[in-house]
Amino acid sequence: MNKKNLIQQLRLTFSDIQLNEHEDGIIKIHAKKEQVKRILSYLKDNMYNHLALISCVDWIKEKEFELIYILTSYLDDKELYQETGDIYLKIRIPRGDPEIETVISVFENAEPYEREIYELFGVKFSGHPRLIPLFLERDYEVSPFRKDFDTRKYVKDVFESIPVIPEEEE
Amino acid sequence: MREVELFFGPQHLGMVGNFSITLNVEGDKILKATANPGFLHRGFEKLMEYRTWMQNFPLVCRINVVEPDHMEMVYAMAVEKLAGIEVPERAEWIRSIYLELARVGSHLFGLWAYSNMLGFDTVAQWAMYHRDLILDLFEELTGGRVYHIYIWPGGVRRDFPEGFTNKIVETLHSIGKCVPDYNDIFFNNPLFYERTHGIGKITREEAEKWGGVGQVLRATGKPFDIRKVEPYAAYDKVDFDIPTREEGDAYSRIMVIRDEMIESVHLIFKLIEGLPEGEVYNKVPNPFKWKIGEGESYVRVESSRGELGLYLVSDGGDKPYRVHFRTPSYSHGLTILEKVLEGANISDVGNIMISMYVVAPEIDR
Repeated sequence: MNKKNLIQQLRLTFSDIQLNEHEDGIIKIHAKKEQVKRILSYLKDNMYNHLALISCVDWIKEKEFELIYILTSYLDDKELYQETGDIYLKIRIPRGDPEIETVISVFENAEPYEREIYELFGVKFSGHPRLIPLFLERDYEVSPFRKDFDTRKYVKDVFESIPVIPEEEE
Repeated sequence: MREVELFFGPQHLGMVGNFSITLNVEGDKILKATANPGFLHRGFEKLMEYRTWMQNFPLVCRINVVEPDHMEMVYAMAVEKLAGIEVPERAEWIRSIYLELARVGSHLFGLWAYSNMLGFDTVAQWAMYHRDLILDLFEELTGGRVYHIYIWPGGVRRDFPEGFTNKIVETLHSIGKCVPDYNDIFFNNPLFYERTHGIGKITREEAEKWGGVGQVLRATGKPFDIRKVEPYAAYDKVDFDIPTREEGDAYSRIMVIRDEMIESVHLIFKLIEGLPEGEVYNKVPNPFKWKIGEGESYVRVESSRGELGLYLVSDGGDKPYRVHFRTPSYSHGLTILEKVLEGANISDVGNIMISMYVVAPEIDR
């Protein structure tokens, strides 16, 4: 299926998605969180079989998290690869109750990415088999990669308050 | 036999780098492996949100000790794409030469780790020495041995000094002269073949399913290389091959790395031959006042471990809004390694891990 057909098919299959094609060949799809698995497995079956990255951006002013799934292909031919291009699937979820379903059943390498986002942003992935911390040791009140977590203040509070033994008065 | 839980690393003879794996073993056989990263988590991506676009350069190169240069390149490319900065022709070629030198250096470092782990100490010493010769070149060019901060948005920091290309050629020739020795003592050594043949085997379908890139994928016969499919710098101006193997085991991965080193050296010679004259730097705005318009970009390069990507978001400010690196070791070390280790022998853990070129700083970031 070539790209034009794919875009048409995507618009037909998923009626309530917003799809923009950019000049540099990137397709950006904005969708609702309920559709994530269906869209990803549809794209996987149509050449986009390489999940390069799952990322999360904290849009604190809009009180939303944006999850970005970047898909490319494993084609080893230059023309075909560039013709296929990248797809960014973007999903906005409310900051207050961030939850989305896991996509491990579609892309197995999503597992550590989802764990990382859970740990650093506090986004819950329902159905994830081991949603446990990946990197960090300490407990944080606010997830550390959220915009309202002040790294510098945290460093000051935690590491500058090492108990100092006061000098004895003579 | 009783099932035992075994902690492998971060302090372990068979483990290179700060990475740990929890193994459930029965006798010698591994039933289940759980990767435990995080010993090198320094929160670079968050720290970068507090620094201006240019201030981040000393940070990005420190993310991965083994190949800082590809990190610089991918960050510079992302900034250039967001800000719409052009790079002069000569700078593109210099970048390619510089990145290929970095690839050879990084592979030699990898060869050190691998041969050291297998017990081929002599090869390890040679590889480290030869890597040092390449670091000498970097030192002359940039002033730094390990971290260079040479690639900037708009080009490279300075032009090659006089006679520098000759020095590169001489150095590479002196390393190349030792390739037959390396072959005799290591690559064609029956002991090496026996230790690695059929170990940590994965098929092409599995590699693609689990997000494998770089040597992991190329050792299964798939010639997938970002330099070819989405050329950056000057890689579309010269012709080069992508070495592959069919078996998908540790042996073929290491042989792919060896062939890649040799191919990189040939590529450097071709690049030096075609190096055009001209400027190497397009001026960028005052770094203290530089604001980049709203936008996002995902760029990728072929680092010596595979596809290295960067997702960079700007909200129109003088600092990045979000930075996220897609490192090749991430999928290799956290997804593929766990699956491949199941059913393997304890003595092969380090063997499998290093043959997949897993480096911990890249995973933790």
